[in-house]
Amino acid sequence: MAYFILKRLIQSVFVMLAVAFLAFALFRFVGDPISQMTGVETTIADQERLREELGLNDPFLVQFARFSGKMLVGDFGFSYRTRQPIGEMLLSRIPATLELGTVALLISLLVGIPAGVYTALRPRGAVTQAILISTLVGVSIPTFVIGIFLIFLFGVQLGWLPTFGRGGTVQFGWWRSSLFTVDGWRALVLPALTLGVYQLTLTMRLVRAEMMEVMRTDFIRFATARGLPMRALHYRHALGNTMIPVITIIGLQFGGVIAFSIVTESVFQWPGMGLLFLESIRFVDIPVMGVYLVVIAFFFVLINLVVDLLYLAIDPRLRVKEAA
Amino acid sequence: MTKHSLKRLTLSAALLLSTALAAEAATFRWAATTDPQTMDPHAVNAAPVTSFLNNIYEGLVRRGRDMAIEPSLATAWEPLTGGETGWRFTLRKGVKYQDGADFTADDVLFSYERASSEASDVRSWFAPVASVRVVDDYTIDFITKAPNPLFPDSIANFLILDRGWAEANGAQVPSRDVENFATRNTNGTGPFKLAKRDPGIETRLVPNDGWWDTREDNVTEAIFTPIGNAATGLAALLSGEIDFISPIPLQDAEQVEGRAGFKVLQGLEARVIVLGFGHNKAALSYSDETTGKNPFQDVRVREAVGHAIDVDTINRVVMRGKAAPIDQLQPAGLSGYSNVNTARPEFNIDTAKAALADAGYPNGFSFGLMCTNDRYINDEAVCRAAASMLAKVGLNAKLTAMPVRGYWDELRGGNYDMYLLGWSPGTFDAEHPIRFLAATPNGNLGTWNFGGYSNARVDELLPLIQSEVDLVKRQAMLDEVAAILKDEVAYVPLYTEPLIWAMKENVTVTQRPDNFFMLRWVTVQ
Repeated sequence: MAYFILKRLIQSVFVMLAVAFLAFALFRFVGDPISQMTGVETTIADQERLREELGLNDPFLVQFARFSGKMLVGDFGFSYRTRQPIGEMLLSRIPATLELGTVALLISLLVGIPAGVYTALRPRGAVTQAILISTLVGVSIPTFVIGIFLIFLFGVQLGWLPTFGRGGTVQFGWWRSSLFTVDGWRALVLPALTLGVYQLTLTMRLVRAEMMEVMRTDFIRFATARGLPMRALHYRHALGNTMIPVITIIGLQFGGVIAFSIVTESVFQWPGMGLLFLESIRFVDIPVMGVYLVVIAFFFVLINLVVDLLYLAIDPRLRVKEAA
Repeated sequence: MTKHSLKRLTLSAALLLSTALAAEAATFRWAATTDPQTMDPHAVNAAPVTSFLNNIYEGLVRRGRDMAIEPSLATAWEPLTGGETGWRFTLRKGVKYQDGADFTADDVLFSYERASSEASDVRSWFAPVASVRVVDDYTIDFITKAPNPLFPDSIANFLILDRGWAEANGAQVPSRDVENFATRNTNGTGPFKLAKRDPGIETRLVPNDGWWDTREDNVTEAIFTPIGNAATGLAALLSGEIDFISPIPLQDAEQVEGRAGFKVLQGLEARVIVLGFGHNKAALSYSDETTGKNPFQDVRVREAVGHAIDVDTINRVVMRGKAAPIDQLQPAGLSGYSNVNTARPEFNIDTAKAALADAGYPNGFSFGLMCTNDRYINDEAVCRAAASMLAKVGLNAKLTAMPVRGYWDELRGGNYDMYLLGWSPGTFDAEHPIRFLAATPNGNLGTWNFGGYSNARVDELLPLIQSEVDLVKRQAMLDEVAAILKDEVAYVPLYTEPLIWAMKENVTVTQRPDNFFMLRWVTVQ
């Protein structure tokens, strides 16, 4: 097991290097950082001096090697825009994104799994049809439209919830959390819903399909014939078997939620990593963009690893294979 | 719009304020699209930074509600005499920094050294300065290389730091690639001080009780949040979570005005939008049929462009009538504006066609038009409108619209035949656009003259304009330059951009054409 984890972590270094390489190859097309860093009155000579100081005149491979070399020893460098250390910038933004992503995931699970079970057990019911259609609509509308709609309904018209930001936060060391105040939760509801709606639909449909599949298998028929109570049959035996593929997919999706919360964060001015990334693109803040992409790649690798381990824990058959 | 429109607006805002009732103290929340990227006044010469820091730091002089220069940390200034050129500033006594230190001439000298150092982004302001001399604790001389009548005006945003504070905290030079103490901390003499700085998220200011001037605001705490998404910003205002936002999109102005409890303050920003040509390009880069030559080098073709574009229609349709058509490289009413060159080229398709035929292009030609799509108000739509108007006389523009972050690189690389440009005169004087847009590019001058427009007489007049003390003679030279630029159609000036701020009904602010937001004029009732 330790060997398995170690192997995956070593692999992750190569994944991150590959991501950094691709990112650097693309950065040249994003724009000119110098024109974003200086005012209009700065002379060409001064611009050139700054360009030289920042090493922007070096060949692409040299710039990439310098960036990755520093990353490997934990030096993330400084932002072109704010001139802050990037490690500190990202660290201050990670809690917001993780909390948003986690709450969105929880919403999608807490609503998606029961809804999936319900729609699987009553495939022809009117409620089932209503749920299926409404989630299909929800998933077809672009995220930013859902976000703006929720903001104008609950924020502007009804005035129930805040329209932007994180609300009241509590500081635990470097971790700033909005989960411990009413104000923080009020601010979290709309963005989490916006981010979670796609996940919710996916979870529900996945649970529904798997559940319907499991319900047709022999062991369920046998259990039904034996006269097990329907409750135990549905929620213990059928749902349990349903969850194995669902966990894999949900786990993998969580990486996507973290990485692609950009739109939601922008619409709600949610101060997470995604918003930082957007600002960095606007200012051609190359070091921040590079570090962000590498960190996101690391998240993906990490989540994949956790999913693999979970899979191992849930499905006994895999453990046997590994041992053999 | 008349040339007085800029002033009229600020005046009306001032009237509003003077009639306001004595107001209660209040917390004020405001938002803008961009976070000031640093709290160091010499590190980045960008409007969001300079505007924000003018609430904390102060210069020797400052601009009033009507943009006029008035005393700030200097109480008086006069030209040097006795064979030297330059200015003597008499400094205000009894001014204290927010940390309690005294303000003296030595701090001005230090700030000059800091702001003119290689690491500073505002050093171009001091290009005319030969040296600075401290006469006594409250007198300082700026010796200039040539007479410089507008030098005091040009340093209105030169903000003064305390030498002791900067040296104690290792912030002697502006941060360049790595932050220093002054990036996130401040110690100014101004009306507000920094209470909390959370870059990109929230910045809180509180009044500086020891400020030397009389307070006109009633703000007890000011909370700034950057909101990049326009719809989110509007929702934040309409839901009452913020009191003020700037700017809002043109198309949202009516919606805000229509709601009870909200109002819009609308004026003109001192920024002109123009079309530029590749004067120094031997051939068009994006033409299908016109290869090996550049028709825009012919003044008749440039005139045709001027006649073909209906600026009034662009203003009415794309800018919702909120812009003001313009005829020069600076807004009407600005210092040095040429009152004898106010006529715009008449919109007339036949005249345009005739000029094209005269130049040998009766059927017109195709060319590449470069535009931004995220820099100026409705920039891409303006370009589309201009392109369709040009098409009517046979000038087929192939429009490329792109984000501004890569735009200047493309222009410097010559990847255009015609381009859109917006220009704000940093000194609020007509000399500024001549220096940057009309002077022949040589590394220091004409740095934004992408097309390499070059006229010997303009180059000859520029230094004379810069050093002429007699305002009448100076204006005569400015008039001459304006006439040359107009006759040669160096650029096709389109309009001055509108400036739209939205706020709650109970908020009173002053809007200046430089789009600076000054908390010291904010009252909340």
